[in-house]
Amino acid sequence: MKDIDKYFFGKAANDKVSLEVKPGEIHALLGENGAGKTTLMNILYGIYQRDGGRITWKGEEIHFGSPREAIDNRIGMVHQHFMLVPTLTVSQNITLGLKSEGHPFPNRRSIDEKIRELLSAYNVHISPTDKVSSLSVGGEQWVEIIKLLYRNAELLILDEPTAVLTPQETERLFRVLEKLRQEGHSVIIITHRIPEVLEITDRVTILRDGRNVATVHTSETDSVELSHYMIGRELKTISRTPNTVSPQEEGLGLDELTVEENGRSVLGPLSLSVRKGEMIGIAGVDGNGQKYLAEAVLGVRDCSAGKVRLLGGDVSSASIQKRKDMGLGYIAEDRQNDALIMDMDMRENVLLRMYSKREYVKTGFIKYANVDETAKEMIETYNIKTAGLGKPVRYLSGGNQQKLILARELAGSPPVIIAFHPTRGLDIGATEFVRQKLLERRASGSSILLISSDLDEIFALSDRIAVLFHGKIMAVLENDGNVDVNYLGRLMAGESAESGSNSRRVE
Amino acid sequence: MERLKAALSYILIIVIILSLAVVLILSVGSDVPKSFMSFFRGIFGSLYGFSEVLVRATPLILAGLGVSIGFRTGFINIGAEGQIYWGAIAVTTTAYLFPGLPALIAIPLGIVAGFVAGGIWALIPGYLKARFGISEVINTIMFNYIAINILGILVRTVLKDPEYPLPMSSKLPEGFIFPLLMYPTRLHLGFLIALIAMVLVYVLMWKSSPGYKLRVVGLNQRASLCSGIPVKKYIVFSSLLSGGFAGIAGVGEIAGIHYKLLEGFSPGFGYVAIIVALLGKNNPFGVTAAGLGIAALQVGSLSMQRQAGVPASISWIIMGSIVLLILARSTLLTFFAEKEKEEKV
Repeated sequence: MKDIDKYFFGKAANDKVSLEVKPGEIHALLGENGAGKTTLMNILYGIYQRDGGRITWKGEEIHFGSPREAIDNRIGMVHQHFMLVPTLTVSQNITLGLKSEGHPFPNRRSIDEKIRELLSAYNVHISPTDKVSSLSVGGEQWVEIIKLLYRNAELLILDEPTAVLTPQETERLFRVLEKLRQEGHSVIIITHRIPEVLEITDRVTILRDGRNVATVHTSETDSVELSHYMIGRELKTISRTPNTVSPQEEGLGLDELTVEENGRSVLGPLSLSVRKGEMIGIAGVDGNGQKYLAEAVLGVRDCSAGKVRLLGGDVSSASIQKRKDMGLGYIAEDRQNDALIMDMDMRENVLLRMYSKREYVKTGFIKYANVDETAKEMIETYNIKTAGLGKPVRYLSGGNQQKLILARELAGSPPVIIAFHPTRGLDIGATEFVRQKLLERRASGSSILLISSDLDEIFALSDRIAVLFHGKIMAVLENDGNVDVNYLGRLMAGESAESGSNSRRVE
Repeated sequence: MERLKAALSYILIIVIILSLAVVLILSVGSDVPKSFMSFFRGIFGSLYGFSEVLVRATPLILAGLGVSIGFRTGFINIGAEGQIYWGAIAVTTTAYLFPGLPALIAIPLGIVAGFVAGGIWALIPGYLKARFGISEVINTIMFNYIAINILGILVRTVLKDPEYPLPMSSKLPEGFIFPLLMYPTRLHLGFLIALIAMVLVYVLMWKSSPGYKLRVVGLNQRASLCSGIPVKKYIVFSSLLSGGFAGIAGVGEIAGIHYKLLEGFSPGFGYVAIIVALLGKNNPFGVTAAGLGIAALQVGSLSMQRQAGVPASISWIIMGSIVLLILARSTLLTFFAEKEKEEKV
């Protein structure tokens, strides 16, 4: 790919970006969120059309109008968000859209056999007849990869493949990638995790703000140089000070909390106590009950048994409004759906947490002057870059949207905070800012429940780490710097804390 | 640039509509200049014509305001017609029950009764949506048929005027009848009520906390829930308001125009109100402007029919086309913008 340009609404997402991948090479595309990595790959894969530049594949200039053409040319991509049909079986998903042998009445059994061979060749323990809905997220990723191999892809593009995997699963993925390399496949990995780049890739191309920064041989670089390329400056390390605020008093307490959905227990029973001035990190692979946990504490979801205590008081049956008024700050996992009204302006989004306060609403009428003033203060303190109070928040960048949520949810110094993926999708600068703010709140005595799938974040911020698997807490570990990542990974994969190291992996 | 494009697109719509009108007029064999002249003379040519526009617009504005509140909250109210019918039934029934009341009490009472009846009629599908997730679109449409036929039964039975053979009620008692604003035209108190309602809806939706919550619920239910707004309650509340304003439209038609309850008193005001809300972009001032515009279109084409022999049906064709073009406008704008960009590359 040479000199690729792509503009969104006049802004360059890719500005003369070049990338060269050799046959039989694992090539990393490294950069922060928003650096243009995925955009570049979507252009190669035919999802977006380029605004300038040339793409050559095996010496010929090409132009894919759709992913279909890319697949026909043996280029395949696994997206960050998988594109599978959960109600169909593994083999049906793999052959989806293909005219298999015997079409329109394909011989499912012989296809299954072929897929079974492929699966065992790569040491993947999934049956072709399993429903995709019964697989773990890691399993779904395997289906996506096998789908590409079934279509004889020579170049595989993987977008953040390790984001949803435990450390062990990541390890297995890397072994498979090495095998693919030996067989002559080329692989592009999109990532922002430097250790992975160093471990598996042959060469790495770094993007920043939609431009090429450098392309280097992995063997000739190190993490310091890569992070420098990636963010353009040294990374500040966040330091955590010991919990000094009344370590005995409890801020948030969960007592045998259980959540059921359609008569099936999806969370708990689990018990946890977050003390004042303490941050507990909930580690776990996405989809292991994190959402239920956050929603049960907030009150969006009813708990079928057990209790939620807020500042010592039972709020299990209290309304969301009540809980928020008592001082519960909620940083939602999904900014655009759960926390913001995208088509409303900043002041109305600020009001979303303030409408029950006398200061802002009097006898049913909104005092917009006061709301404006608060919004302006928030813009200043949190350094939110906005085109104006009256502009819909849709036009804010992701980082600024998150800052706005933070400003709103941390307003009035809430004693209890749920931070659900607080830095997901943010660039390094914004991430630092968010983490700093959470630590500030912690230092002034808030109890914080940090739910994150980013282990680095969990390690950097939390006092204790609780591992969540299938809705249950596997263990609570003191984050004293001696936590073994491999042990944590095994807990995340469902091994119980007592069973030791010789037990079998739970798939 | 953007603004210029928007302006150009509206001019384009006007050009298309005018050309369509010319084609339609020519196709029925009428004289184009004469038709246009009679169209505008019908609207602006006389005080009576102009007042008729306001009279026509009154129920459209009131019901359109109701529909727009529903749309803002995500309650797709297609049932304004039925709610108008219930408003009419309510004011007639109230008048029968308390015939001797003075106007000062009777008129407000009639309006409140109409609001409550229309509101409850919309609240049932609202509750079914909030509680069980049943589509309000289907329910409100079905409720139209039920309301229309309940009225049919009432004017043949309990509310029938015994001294008259046709299925209609007897004349409303004097106190319940809306005073005329500009005798001898038919312009009545209802128009003022519509204007007051316009301001009320604006204050409610943009200045008050409940209105703010209604809008939040309409834009993002999930975020509303997460911020502690009882979403279901507000959907039901919105359906009540939505139907209530449509109910007042029904009151106005009976107490301001017909003075008695009769079948078919509404030539589909409730359906046109949906168009009014759409064209007015669910903004109370926009709704009022759209209501006046559509009323003018109808009054003008009636005059065109009388004086130039052009069937008034073409006003409906034009109305449909306007809605289509305006709804398609933004989509087409982005489509052409992208096309242009692709050609540049």
